[in-house]
Amino acid sequence: MSPNRNTPDAPEGRELHRRRFLSAAALGGATIVGASALGGLDADAAFAAPSPSLDPAIAKTSFAEGRVAGINGSMLEVAGSHGEFHRVQLTNATSIWKLHPTTADAVEPGDGLYARGVEMPDGSIAADAVWVNIVNLHCTIRGIGRDRLELAHNNHAVVGRVVKGTTAASYHGSALSSDLSRLRIGQDAQVLGAWRPKDDSIDIARVSVGR
Amino acid sequence: MLSLLRDLAPLALGALLAWSGAVKLAGRAPERRVAGTALERLANGVERATVALRAVGAAELLVAAALLTAPAVAGPAGAVWSGTAAALLGAAFTGYLVHGRVTAPDSSCGCTARGDEPIGPRAFARAGLVVVGGAASAVAAGPWWETVWRHPVAATALLAGCGAVAAVLFADLDRRLLLALRRLRLRVFGHPLEGAPKVVPVEASVELLERSLAWEAAAPVVRSGLRDHWDEDGWRFLRYTGTHGTDRNARRVSVLFALDVHADLDTASRPAVRVAVLDEETGEPVTDALEDVTARTALPIVT
Repeated sequence: MSPNRNTPDAPEGRELHRRRFLSAAALGGATIVGASALGGLDADAAFAAPSPSLDPAIAKTSFAEGRVAGINGSMLEVAGSHGEFHRVQLTNATSIWKLHPTTADAVEPGDGLYARGVEMPDGSIAADAVWVNIVNLHCTIRGIGRDRLELAHNNHAVVGRVVKGTTAASYHGSALSSDLSRLRIGQDAQVLGAWRPKDDSIDIARVSVGR
Repeated sequence: MLSLLRDLAPLALGALLAWSGAVKLAGRAPERRVAGTALERLANGVERATVALRAVGAAELLVAAALLTAPAVAGPAGAVWSGTAAALLGAAFTGYLVHGRVTAPDSSCGCTARGDEPIGPRAFARAGLVVVGGAASAVAAGPWWETVWRHPVAATALLAGCGAVAAVLFADLDRRLLLALRRLRLRVFGHPLEGAPKVVPVEASVELLERSLAWEAAAPVVRSGLRDHWDEDGWRFLRYTGTHGTDRNARRVSVLFALDVHADLDTASRPAVRVAVLDEETGEPVTDALEDVTARTALPIVT
């Protein structure tokens, strides 16, 4: 496991150079001011009700969901939750989320997976985006510690790990913030995070309370 | 001590069954109580399960009345019969729990304690306690009130102990106590997550971006989720990948967004976002990739 796999803030050498180039390009781009009513293609979309798409490209989108049964180069063999089987091709344009944006070598057999991509003629899915071990739970906060939240999901105890610099909280529909000190024991919370198969805990990406 | 406990068993168990029977028989919203339980599955439907729940409540009340009054009404034989009935009731509970555990392991028992806890050791301990209490009542040496009369202090202490055990097993008192203790700890020692540096998390920037006009303009091009992010000179850069052009002319592009590193949905209602689309291979900017969203007329709000 490379130490930088999940820390995109610590680039080295060529990557740093590339970022500088991209930063300059971004700042040289168009400036667009204003808010939109449209939402994202992001992790939330995995749980949102499907809505008719305005973009013809999206109509060709396929989805795959299941557990990674095997990894063959950059091809993931995925056993779907309903008995189906998918082959998910990772490319160098695929975004891979495992709590953070990460790279293909962070995907391990046994991981849960949700992928969005385009179906290829051979039946595989060329993935645009992959979310690894993503979970979204409605739970109750039963305890608060320095590095964890004790959660109860359907009365099953779940440990939610607080990841410094990553875990964010939203209170009563407010913007996500790094301030977790307003979480209270007994609150109902929507927790989005990355499940850790090894110890069955969850690294919390965000926790929303008071919705 | 043990004989005292045995002789007080009819009182302790009778009171317990009276309480739990009354809750089942007269409790509000029994449908909600049986929904999702093994009882619903066993009775094949919520309505029949509700009737079954009421019937069990009535049976518990009857056995409770028998345990408490039988020695007076029917003498020692009455004590034996009422104790046996209680033990049989406990055995029936155990059988039901085993059945529920085997056929629907994730469902709750729908019994006295909290409705939605899956059948586990606690539920079996509760049923076991009824069996043991029933057996003890059947072999009690005399009516419970005589025992209380003879050893008032010891009896009170023992009954208080029984009450504590029942509160833990039947009313989840330990969990409530644990929560209260944890709350107290937070109040006394402060919130353990206090004092984290106040920075705008990347998720908040993404949230802001996804509700911006810039995102809308770039949406037809963007295909991936967030690929990479970094902060530099007060900007937060977010990189996505996508495709521009149709089938044959399709080019793989990087879509770069730069926004104020301190801005989030609460502080920036009209975020200013810089957007650039670059060809992945050549690194050249792609100028015609962004949708024209400025001409879009806002839908009128119907009031």
